[in-house]
Amino acid sequence: MPTSDRRPRSLSARLVVGSALLALVVAAAFGVLVFAVTTLDDATKRERHTKAVTAETLRLERLVLDLDTGLRGFVLTGKDDLLAPWTSARAALPKSLRDFQQLASTTAGERRRAMTLVASIDQYVNDYAVPVVEIARESPAATRQAFVSQEGAQQLAAVRDHFADFLSTESAVAAARTSTAQRRSDEAIAAAVAGLIASALLIIGFGLYLARSIARPAREVAEGAARLAGGDLTTRLRPQGVGEIEELTHAFNRMAERLEASRRELEEQNEKLRESEHAKSELVSIVAHELRTPLASVLGFTSILLQREVTDEQRREYLAIIEAQARRLGALVNDFLDVQHLEEGKLSIAKELVDIGSVVREQSELFAGQSPKHLLDVSLPPTPLPVRGDSNRLAQVVANLLSNAIKYSPEGGVVRVAGKRTDSVVRVSIQDEGVGIPPELQREIFGKFVRGHATANGIEGSGLGLAISRSLVEAHGGSIDFESTKGRGSTFWFEIPTASPE
Amino acid sequence: MTAIAETAAKTVLICEDDPNLRTLVRLALGDDGYRFFEAPDGPSGLALARRTQPDLIVLDLMLPGRSGLDVLRELRNARDFADTPVIVISAWSHSDDAAVQAGADRFVAKPFDPDELRDAAIALLEDDSANE
Repeated sequence: MPTSDRRPRSLSARLVVGSALLALVVAAAFGVLVFAVTTLDDATKRERHTKAVTAETLRLERLVLDLDTGLRGFVLTGKDDLLAPWTSARAALPKSLRDFQQLASTTAGERRRAMTLVASIDQYVNDYAVPVVEIARESPAATRQAFVSQEGAQQLAAVRDHFADFLSTESAVAAARTSTAQRRSDEAIAAAVAGLIASALLIIGFGLYLARSIARPAREVAEGAARLAGGDLTTRLRPQGVGEIEELTHAFNRMAERLEASRRELEEQNEKLRESEHAKSELVSIVAHELRTPLASVLGFTSILLQREVTDEQRREYLAIIEAQARRLGALVNDFLDVQHLEEGKLSIAKELVDIGSVVREQSELFAGQSPKHLLDVSLPPTPLPVRGDSNRLAQVVANLLSNAIKYSPEGGVVRVAGKRTDSVVRVSIQDEGVGIPPELQREIFGKFVRGHATANGIEGSGLGLAISRSLVEAHGGSIDFESTKGRGSTFWFEIPTASPE
Repeated sequence: MTAIAETAAKTVLICEDDPNLRTLVRLALGDDGYRFFEAPDGPSGLALARRTQPDLIVLDLMLPGRSGLDVLRELRNARDFADTPVIVISAWSHSDDAAVQAGADRFVAKPFDPDELRDAAIALLEDDSANE
């Protein structure tokens, strides 16, 4: 099958062309057959014509002989009754001549030969026979001379020669024509048979072509569809066939690809769902653990107070622990709810115009009195630091970072809080001189429940502050990051897009 | 009596990262009957155990540095601590099987009743003395 063409010619076009070709060949074969039959028919007609011409010629010859018989009998005897053949032949002659000439006029040669014969008959009748009969009526003796009958015999012989000539030529020409017709007819029949055989072969070829280009690809498409329906979505078809059939295989493959892709997508979604389900149950179990630890202090010290003898000083100490741990429980619950809401995207972030500068100032003042060992150094520009967002949530971020800076510098020191504005962002940074973050923790410091050695060092916290802070900053369209050297302190900063003045 | 009590004072190693809970364990066991050593993480707990050869170890599972289970397995592998009674305390209430499999004698879930912990400690120490 020629497929050199890049764009395959359509199957219907091929089918139309093939059918037309087949029809043409069959029509040609039938045409040739019709020609053969016509030729044979023609030959038969000619034969019949030749017979008719021969019969007419013989009748004419008999008339001429009757004329001669009557003429000679009358001349010899002078009796009128012997002139009867002459009279009747003379009467019949013009019509017979007309008939003969009309009949023998199919070809120029025949007409010419007929005219020659007719001329010789005319000559015999007009130049000899009629004058002899006229003279014999007047003076029968005059016509009984030898030269007269001799002249008659000569003339008649000439006429009879013409008759013989005409008849032999006519039959020879007819024979030649018949044999030519026979040959042509034979050839035509052979051609027609060849044409019919060729069209039979063409029909078989056409059938095979249809089977190959339609039936087989169609079967493969059907089998592929069955495999696909059976769940094998990797099923692909070899592109084959012509035009529409090839398009069908391509369309089938595209369909299979889409099916496979959507199943893969579904599986991925399932996997994600399973993972998030797993993460959720892990979170629940971590939450339970994180809650139990302060709860253990609250319940444990309460039991001690209830069951044991303790001094006043001990009682105050234990009650302080109980209070602090109960507060920690409350803070943990809030943090967990925040994380939950942030992860589910349920936390609503207001979009008000907020001056981060005043947020930082407020929070710094709140923290300043917390620890006598720390000095808060706040540096802010005189102009506002406008962003669009939620002042409570931004305060939560600043408080988280400030609280970390103080908690993780147990020896005290300076905590530098700075805010500034560039063209596109407002940046807040909080620097401490504390313990710093060990390199192995730096990668995961924004994760949940990452606390490092904090508990061991007596530093409290849920391990959620930075995770919450990062989510909040990102919810404001900003980013958060840090720099830290173990033992030297850390600097955390966040940036939020500057609010455009309206 | 006092002299005998002092010489017989049992040593207890508390390996727990939360300082409040270390205090609570001490209070639960009774401040006067024992000598306490405290470690806030796994590695220092192991080091302190080797140095002090305690009669009883109270071990948390969620420890910084090395997990409590790790610490427990390493203790059990050392001949010195093959028979030392160990009480595991954990807020992971479902890790009791893992703790026992790693060699814990008792598992006490946080939050715990101070009396329950004290009774467990006494029982283990009496068993231990009877075996010797």
